[in-house]
Amino acid sequence: MKKASKFVASLLAGSMVLSMAACGNEGGNQESSSTPQQSTTESTPSGGGDTTPTESNQPESEPAAEVAKPDKIKIMIDGTVPTQENYGDDFWKKYTELTGIEVEIIQPDHDAYYDVVGQTFAGRDWPDVIILSSTYYTGYASEGALWDMTDAYANSDLKARHDAKAGSDTVVDSLRINGSLYGMPATHGNGCVTYVKQSWLDNCGIASVPTNYEEYVAMMDAFTNGDPDGDGVDGNTFAVAAAGFIGNEAPFTNYLPEFYQDAYPSFMQDANGNWIDGFETDAMKAALGRLADAYANGYIDPTTLTNGTGDCRNKFYDDEFGVFTYWAGTWGNNLKNNLEANGLSGELVALPPIAEVGAYIDRITPAWSITSACENPEGVFKYFIEAMQDGGDVQYLFTYGVEGKHWSQAAETLWEGTDKEKTYEEGQWHFLPNAEKPETAYTKAHIDPMLALVDLEAPENSVTDVALDAQELFNANCKSAFIVPSTDEMSMYNGDLTTLKNELIAKVTMGEMTIDEAYAKYEADGGAEWSKTIVDSLNAQ
Amino acid sequence: MKTKKKFPVFRIVNGLIFIILALIIIIPMWKILVDSFDLKTAYGMKLWPENFGLAGYVSVFRNPTLFRPLVISFITTILGTILALTLSTLGAYVLIQWEMPGRTFFANFLLFTMIFNGGMIPTYLVLSSMHLTNTLLVVILFPALNVYNLVLMRNFFEGIPQSLFESATLDGCSPMQTFIRIVLPMSKAALASIGLMYAVTYWNDYTHYKLYITDSKWYNFQMKLRSVIMGSDLPQSTGGATENTVKNAAIIVVIIPFMLLYPFLQKYFVKGVNIGAVKE
Amino acid sequence: MKKTKTAVPKQKISGAKLWAKIYKYRGFYLMFLPVFVFAIIFSYLPMLGIVLGFTDYNGIKDPTFVGFKHFERMFKMANFWSAFANTIVISLVKLILTTLFAVIVSLLLNEIVNLHFKKVVQTIIYLPHFMSWVVTASIFSLILAPTNHGLVNTFLVNIGVLDANNMIYFLGSEKWWRFAYYIINIWKETGWQTVIFMATLAGINTELYEAAAIDGAGRWNKMRFITFPALANTILTVFILNLAKVMNLFESAFVLQNDAVLGTANVLETYIYYQTFNSGAIPNYGYTTAIGLFKSLVGCVLVLVCNQWSKKVREGRGIV
Repeated sequence: MKKASKFVASLLAGSMVLSMAACGNEGGNQESSSTPQQSTTESTPSGGGDTTPTESNQPESEPAAEVAKPDKIKIMIDGTVPTQENYGDDFWKKYTELTGIEVEIIQPDHDAYYDVVGQTFAGRDWPDVIILSSTYYTGYASEGALWDMTDAYANSDLKARHDAKAGSDTVVDSLRINGSLYGMPATHGNGCVTYVKQSWLDNCGIASVPTNYEEYVAMMDAFTNGDPDGDGVDGNTFAVAAAGFIGNEAPFTNYLPEFYQDAYPSFMQDANGNWIDGFETDAMKAALGRLADAYANGYIDPTTLTNGTGDCRNKFYDDEFGVFTYWAGTWGNNLKNNLEANGLSGELVALPPIAEVGAYIDRITPAWSITSACENPEGVFKYFIEAMQDGGDVQYLFTYGVEGKHWSQAAETLWEGTDKEKTYEEGQWHFLPNAEKPETAYTKAHIDPMLALVDLEAPENSVTDVALDAQELFNANCKSAFIVPSTDEMSMYNGDLTTLKNELIAKVTMGEMTIDEAYAKYEADGGAEWSKTIVDSLNAQ
Repeated sequence: MKTKKKFPVFRIVNGLIFIILALIIIIPMWKILVDSFDLKTAYGMKLWPENFGLAGYVSVFRNPTLFRPLVISFITTILGTILALTLSTLGAYVLIQWEMPGRTFFANFLLFTMIFNGGMIPTYLVLSSMHLTNTLLVVILFPALNVYNLVLMRNFFEGIPQSLFESATLDGCSPMQTFIRIVLPMSKAALASIGLMYAVTYWNDYTHYKLYITDSKWYNFQMKLRSVIMGSDLPQSTGGATENTVKNAAIIVVIIPFMLLYPFLQKYFVKGVNIGAVKE
Repeated sequence: MKKTKTAVPKQKISGAKLWAKIYKYRGFYLMFLPVFVFAIIFSYLPMLGIVLGFTDYNGIKDPTFVGFKHFERMFKMANFWSAFANTIVISLVKLILTTLFAVIVSLLLNEIVNLHFKKVVQTIIYLPHFMSWVVTASIFSLILAPTNHGLVNTFLVNIGVLDANNMIYFLGSEKWWRFAYYIINIWKETGWQTVIFMATLAGINTELYEAAAIDGAGRWNKMRFITFPALANTILTVFILNLAKVMNLFESAFVLQNDAVLGTANVLETYIYYQTFNSGAIPNYGYTTAIGLFKSLVGCVLVLVCNQWSKKVREGRGIV
């Protein structure tokens, strides 16, 4: 029995290794497309890439002009591209119509996307194109699973188009790993801006929004101890709320930026380009002092520690607090609509970053990458990745979707009989209701028009003014987040370290610990040691 | 006769205990129910909706993309429950054959699967090599063998008097005949309760859908509603229903089938089995 | 070993007799076949992947054998053992409390005479099971909030136990977190657990009660000598089966914990989650497999120990 199971075990392990080897090297590429796969239900026969078998062996330096057009591309995407319910089939049919390229789509559920990505890479059936978040992008790139598109990009028209729009090149550069590019951003990463309720400002007699921390605190004080919601009771409100005192993903400080200001509790590069741990700087200690004061004074929601983002939104709609740092752009409009649905004024001021904050942080954007299993990466780059940002029809498709499904110019009345009824005339451009959430309208297909890296002529009224104002404010006042390379030491210690830091931040803010006690505990629990090990490993790279 | 006097006191106290218990259970859920009917988004608790409206439910039910998943949920739940009950009762029946050679091996063989598993990737590779991924078969077959429930079922079967089996064997019943004529009819409460557990597992399943089904046309109701409940990404709300109302309505909608199903199943729990009656 | 002892009483059977016996039971083997096939396909084939626990494997490059590296790393991690201890304590106390409450509630439910009332109560108390943990967490963080919105604190202030300025942040303080966690679990799962106990009670031969009544047994004695013993078997089985899952505690702890209480609230699964989530690297499936294997081994030990104990209590019969 034991022998038998050992035998089977080695069989399975062997077959797994084989299947992986088949994908891992280029020799396996042909095999992976010539083996009949379960996906043959698609209309085109498999092995479409076979027309250009020679090119995969010489991936670099071919001039773009000779690039062969792929017949079929296999694409793995998350829910940020129209799903089947949201007329994904029509979306891709339109893409095929525009480019003449067949596609096969793998679109796992949003929550399990990276689990399925992992499973897929472990199997033998790799996609040609895949969309990846920064962590997986850097991880898979360093494992050699992604095609190096540095040269293809450098010689492309896409680069010219990016150069033509201010700020776009820095977004592309934020995805470079040691100068090489393994994925292409389609948009800015977007980030959070601070929204202030105009009605609260009015009720407290504040004429202009704060421009520095002193004024900001004065506003906090008025919102907490005065009667900003106008219910005749002083002091039954608080000024600001967030889901936790510190974010759990980079850039960590994006929900309470006015208190953190220049402090950053994780690894960053100093002026000389050396890696340091921002938690150990004086800036961080000062930030902790500001947070603790604000919490003690009641400016910050007392249940911030246990809030979810949904709780924060509901409290904001319920007029419990007045200053909310949340996503720029479309969400600005969404907050307004929900406030109005609650019978409140929906007028929100998107606060330009106060002097001490300087700039809001633009997240690292997801990357469109080509896998090393792709047989004709140049072709896929040109006809898919580049086309998506062609400033023309394909970009229009990726931005607004399909006419009659996602948007329309027909004369019609939407949401008839509800209080948000809207009537459009013939030729008036408008988004259609979202198929999955019929009470809302689409705002984009994949590329948020307000975040695009390549200019595209926008149809009239495709973006609400509120959303646009918030987004433009953000775009004018943001700086890009940075990729922190991963080291063995980092994956070993950073989990414990982050947990410890977050605990200290929460306890200091809530007044359970002084700043000095916190840093003493930081030393005692080994935080300083872990941090030093990681910093050394980063600087040794 | 002392005991007779105590009865009303006990009953009243017992009744009171359950009234209080039911209230404690209801209060947190009341918040969801109220919010699902309230067009005004509020953070705190309320006794009644402030701005009553059905828009949340209308929005959930008018959603054209929910019908197909609902059908899929019904199909997988019914087929899966039948299959899972078959496997558990068969397995449980074999496990009470104390004298059967290999019984202990089979028992440990099953118990082992409950404790050890191979992890995500190997499971996926096996399922995918059998071409089960992206089909409804995987979500019906994969959860069907549940050793936990199988052992519970065995526990129920153990309560069936041995004498019944013996007399059945004497009457010339084959194991299968005994199983169908004696074991199953004697175990209605067990079938109802464990069947309910399977039905709940199948109805609420989304882990298997998430991992093994990448084609959203095979998603079930739970998958779809979860995106409404968890979805923080609901931009540009228009129409009568707010984000919060729709979300809470969806939570209630998920619970409804079990609110309706349970009282129906309870008739199998309320009255005890009269073994003498079966023997006749 | 002990295991063989239970097998021995069958006495030495000669080969021919054994075959005769097997032949006699042939129908049963056939009936077990479908179960066997399912277990092989869906459990044992994937289980071969356990070998990955001794390799480095990220899904792209071939797995490389690394011996016990992952286990060493796991055991060396700073807070691993505290998370391990938290898991055992939280999981076991939760299991004992919810089982205890479910048993008491079942026994009392069994005494309700009015059928309609009984059905209504039963349905109500089992409903919380159908609410996802995320939703449960958001409701209870509201109910337990240290503000005017928090029902519990408001109640305690109104009856004079607490001062309005000194409300308790149940989910935000290390002192109270576990208490709150247990209460929430009891709220959510008690009713659901009664389902299986109620079904067991329904299986009790009614003749027993009738006979007892003739003997003049009162409610208490019937409960003690008929109802409870009948239930004991199921309680034991459910308890031991749940022991196998003790180490898997994740979602309920994950959604209820926060930065300030991780010292008492961090369990193994959440600890590992933060470890990998914060590491900024693609997952090493070798490492996750190794953790799974470790958890399985702990569960296995717990089950075996309790099963041995169960055999003593129940005349040589384990739970399976």
